Amino acid sequence: MKKRILSSLLAMTMVVASITACGSAAEPAPAAEPAKTDAPAQEAPAEPAAEPAKEEEAPAEAPADEPVNLKWALWDVSSTVYYQPLIDAYTAAHPNVSVEMVDLGSTDYSTVLGTQLSGSGSDFDVVTIKDVPGYVSLVNKGVLEPLNDRIAADGVDLSLYNGVTDQVTIDGNLYELPFRSDIWVLFYNKDIFDAAGVAYPTNDMTWDEYDKLARSVTDTTAGSEIYGSHYHTWRSTIQLDGILDGKNTIVDGNYEFTKPYYEMVLAQQKDGVCMDYATLKTQGLHYSAAFAQGNVATMNMGSWFIATLIQKIKDGEYTDCTNWGIVKYPHADGVEAGSTLSTITALAVPTSAPNKDVAWDFVKFVSGAEGAEVMASTGNIPAMTNDKIVDLIAGMDGFPTDDASKEALVTSHTYLEMPANDKSSEIETVLNEQHDLIMNEEVSVDDGIAAMNEGVQAILAQ
Amino acid sequence: MAAEISAMEKNMKRRARKRNLVAYSFIAPNFIGFAVFTLGPIVLALLLSFAEWDGSNAMKFVGLQNFINIFGDDRFLASLKNTVVYSLFTVPVTLAMALGLAILLNQKIKGKEFFRTVAFFPYVASLVAVAAVWNMLFTPAKGGIVNQLLMNVFHASPLKWAASSSTVMLTIIMFSVWKNMGYYMVIYLAGLQGISEELYEAAGLDGANAWQKFINITLPQLKPTTFFVTIMLTINCFKVYDIVYMLAGGSNGVVNKSAMVLVYYIYEEAFRNWKLGQASASALVLFAIVLVVTLIQFRGEKNYAND
Repeated sequence: MKKRILSSLLAMTMVVASITACGSAAEPAPAAEPAKTDAPAQEAPAEPAAEPAKEEEAPAEAPADEPVNLKWALWDVSSTVYYQPLIDAYTAAHPNVSVEMVDLGSTDYSTVLGTQLSGSGSDFDVVTIKDVPGYVSLVNKGVLEPLNDRIAADGVDLSLYNGVTDQVTIDGNLYELPFRSDIWVLFYNKDIFDAAGVAYPTNDMTWDEYDKLARSVTDTTAGSEIYGSHYHTWRSTIQLDGILDGKNTIVDGNYEFTKPYYEMVLAQQKDGVCMDYATLKTQGLHYSAAFAQGNVATMNMGSWFIATLIQKIKDGEYTDCTNWGIVKYPHADGVEAGSTLSTITALAVPTSAPNKDVAWDFVKFVSGAEGAEVMASTGNIPAMTNDKIVDLIAGMDGFPTDDASKEALVTSHTYLEMPANDKSSEIETVLNEQHDLIMNEEVSVDDGIAAMNEGVQAILAQ
Repeated sequence: MAAEISAMEKNMKRRARKRNLVAYSFIAPNFIGFAVFTLGPIVLALLLSFAEWDGSNAMKFVGLQNFINIFGDDRFLASLKNTVVYSLFTVPVTLAMALGLAILLNQKIKGKEFFRTVAFFPYVASLVAVAAVWNMLFTPAKGGIVNQLLMNVFHASPLKWAASSSTVMLTIIMFSVWKNMGYYMVIYLAGLQGISEELYEAAGLDGANAWQKFINITLPQLKPTTFFVTIMLTINCFKVYDIVYMLAGGSNGVVNKSAMVLVYYIYEEAFRNWKLGQASASALVLFAIVLVVTLIQFRGEKNYAND
């Protein structure tokens, strides 16, 4: 008797569990299906047809004074300084619009957003896109509005984004506009160069010149070491130096181009010019701590480190690197100075947005010149740069006062750390593993590259 | 008469049912929680292992393809091998160390409470903190404390420890033994205190020496404890993830084939690559291994409980 009840209870929960399991599995399907049909570029003519229908539903779309409330999906509202100023700037010009922020948390933002947009219940008007892999998966799901027609209609000048928008164009369609962009620069400690009597790095250095410069300030005396260069343990600090000539990408399946960079860094590691990868990795030394020690002459890193440096020096936490500067990333022979790596944060309009026109206007504003000024005034680098923006950032209290540091923020061409690709995370696994083995000197550079080629080509062939 | 009996029976049955319902209502909160948060996901994982799913698009049934894929993936095979190697070494060494410590600290020695605390401390200390300290001691640099010891005292060449594929598993196993032996020592101590003094007295009268007492009294009396410890250790070894990630992942979180374990592989497939089917299939393999090992141990327990 007891047993029967128990077993029937068990069976019931199993049935319930499997039903809910099937339910959650099947749910996204119907939402994904119709959406997928308007993803291909050929369907573009169908878009305008859909627009008027939308407008009938929501007459407030016309730039009238009727109140519109936009729901904006984002993360870390309390610790991010630029959301509210952006909203304030927009609503000042459009008093009928109010913007409501919905914080989805930063750790699994892309996953949560993907799930929310898959169901039919989401009513976000604007969503922030955190990274390129997250962008690609949303585009694959068909939940983002293609923006090409609106960009063409409103004459948005994409050339101001330094080529980044080309790299997130999928099958001829652009589904997001970037508003924040971090670029990679070379940080350096002026005190070390002064003490060694060596001229500061410049905004136009080839990798050879950079290597020579790093070696010229290196001191390997035990106990008072000076490291000419520093490479954080990420593969991006070395592998991606090779894509800056624009001839290769990190998702091609051929990694011969990384060889000279690995050889340069391994030689530096051997000669004590930079710290040993194995030690850095196991001790988990953070790049900011390494630079703050005051014995690192140069370090390639993203511009997000600028805000950290300024803040920590102001707080009195960093005392050995207070005299710092930045210059443009070194470049390959025959390539224009100012080519560098970047990461972007962007805005998109979901296909399910209730107020698409107003949402687009907001996206255009935030990622455009006015939004860029707001971003710059909070110490963040906007995706769209011009002279005024550079002036704003370089004018910040605590930013190096030399002209070269200001000039370093001007880029000629930027390449995304990870371009739009379906297989990016699997490719990354292979590249990370071989990077680790090469830097630990467990495999030769050639064998490591051969393994990368083989592994990534197998993934691409799937 | 007959009607009366059947009425009584009915009454009793009703009362029994009522009693049962009350009992079930007591376990219901726990059971519902279990069903929703444990049973459901387990069943889902079972279904997922035969399907291809990225968490958003429609699920696709693929039969045994996930299993074929993982057994063709050298990362999976490497993680399987590493997990087995890790368990094969960690279980017996931890067991022996825990038993040794328990016997030592069960003697009437001065300050045994202090030494017990010392042995137990690594178990309660935060993994992140002690792993950081461990990595400092075992740093691959020549200036590291352990490497200095190797060079100056043993005149051996320095090792790269967690940074080299040949010594990374050794480092992880040593760390794991050191961290967990205190916990199992406490279990053994409880077991030791459950052994009646009379047995030892009787053996003493018969002229048994310490070794004979250990072999013939202590070990047999500790069998149930050893059984429990072995099972817990084995299961915990197969589930290892955090130690590997902390020691071998380093500042960039890259665990390569030389140190990758099953649970890490599952995590990577599921939440980095969004191949939930393949991850579920690997989880099922892990489940099968733990099940088989535990069944064998239960069989063994039955055998030696009989002698």
